Amino acid sequence: MKVLLVCSGGMSSAIVVKAIEKEAAREGLNIEVKAVGTGELEEELKNGWELVLAAPQVRHRMDEFCKKAEPYSIPVAVIPPQGYTPFGGAIMLTEIKKIIG
Amino acid sequence: MNSLFEFLDKYLIPVMTKLSEQRHLQAIRDGIISTIPLIIVGSFFMIIAFPPIPSLAALVKPYAAQILLPFRMTMGLMALYACHSIGYHLAKSYHLDGISGGLLAMSAFLLTSVPVSLEDKGLALLMSNLGGGGMFVAIIMAIFAVEVLRFAKTRNLTIKMPEGVPDSVARSFEALIPAALLLPIVWLVRDVAGFDIQQFIMELFQPLVLAGNSLAGILVPIILITLLWATGIHGDSVVGTVARPIWLVLLDQNIAAVASGQPIPNIAPEPFFQWFVWIGGSGATISLVILMLSSRSSYLRSVGKATFLPGICNINEPVIFGVPVMLNPLLFIPFLVGPVVVGTLTYFVMSLGLVTKPFILVPWTLPAPIGAYLSTGGDWRAAVLVVVNIVIVTAIYFPFFRAYEQKLMNEAATQEEEN
Repeated sequence: MKVLLVCSGGMSSAIVVKAIEKEAAREGLNIEVKAVGTGELEEELKNGWELVLAAPQVRHRMDEFCKKAEPYSIPVAVIPPQGYTPFGGAIMLTEIKKIIG
Repeated sequence: MNSLFEFLDKYLIPVMTKLSEQRHLQAIRDGIISTIPLIIVGSFFMIIAFPPIPSLAALVKPYAAQILLPFRMTMGLMALYACHSIGYHLAKSYHLDGISGGLLAMSAFLLTSVPVSLEDKGLALLMSNLGGGGMFVAIIMAIFAVEVLRFAKTRNLTIKMPEGVPDSVARSFEALIPAALLLPIVWLVRDVAGFDIQQFIMELFQPLVLAGNSLAGILVPIILITLLWATGIHGDSVVGTVARPIWLVLLDQNIAAVASGQPIPNIAPEPFFQWFVWIGGSGATISLVILMLSSRSSYLRSVGKATFLPGICNINEPVIFGVPVMLNPLLFIPFLVGPVVVGTLTYFVMSLGLVTKPFILVPWTLPAPIGAYLSTGGDWRAAVLVVVNIVIVTAIYFPFFRAYEQKLMNEAATQEEEN
């Protein structure tokens, strides 16, 4: 599974990437996760991702993200706030599996 | 309190969202953000030219002019860089060629300047028009240029190349007719009719810049940003879309004053908020993190430990969504009141001249006392003020934190009983 996280600067989502990787390792799941800022999203979309997850604090820009992901037919979803924490790994994985599992 | 959150969700968020989604504002935001690395590295040379240690300062003084050159060619030409990248981003948003948009924007902006003739050196452009002072001129001209490009494109006023011509060549020809429209228009207005576009735009935006530096000018962004974050929306990025050009003009005036040995005029460029108000992130949450470290609730303690290091680097999404602060009626009060109180305090401390006004942009992930020290050109009192502000905000958070902690502990106890 290849999942791209997008937040304002790519900083806070990097913390969530760690949480997801930790939980995935625990479950023995093979997953590639990367965090980018909103400005890098368009370029990064070219690199073949299966799912884009937007951080809750940039959810007001969902229309823009969806438009950018549309040509690549990559689904875009908002991360639930309670998943967007250093302990949110399990919530995040459930969410990811629900969409592309 | 919940009705307040509903109110925000219904009225404030849609308005702010519309604003931050607006195409031109978005291009301005992205365009200006692309120039930030140049501004940060460029203004670092200010610290080298004017080091905070007096003996060192005396040592480098004779070389100050040379040391400042990288600063002058980056921050000093900020509007020129921003103009190109705003034009680029706006053109891209219309699915037009980005580079053409950027180049047309720059040409329209440069045409608002009239070079001066230097004896036996030829013609020279005044740098003062191409720096922060010309920021709003750059923004308006970039928008105008790209709109002309779009007008030509939608009316099919472009030169079509026969098939087989490489894409990049064809694209550059597409800008030919837009350029032939744009340049004469600006030239006619500026040089033939003699209308000083620069002066006009600068005066038009002057009230906005003055307002940005007033007490209201700091309180309005503080309140809007905390209200947005309280509902879990990235307040800084939304409010910054509109406010950042003003903050950059204020910063530029400050830095120009320092470079020419004048007193610093403005209190409220962006570093004011970054280092003295948003300590540990928006809402000054480092205080909340400190309180959590020794919390009686094991959940809050673990959140405190996990968010301490990111908090030192002013990353606080884990606090906002982990505690959570978002939609939390108890913590909302100190989250809003704390920044308002220390913002007001810092404003008066700086207007009294007790702490140097900030004039250097340093990366926002530095620990706040260090960031404050560097952004004021090495004033140790700035670092002390940051610590004082942390203590004040901690005191404001304390009773509300205790109440929330008790609530969580009660909930945990009930849950255990049920199990």
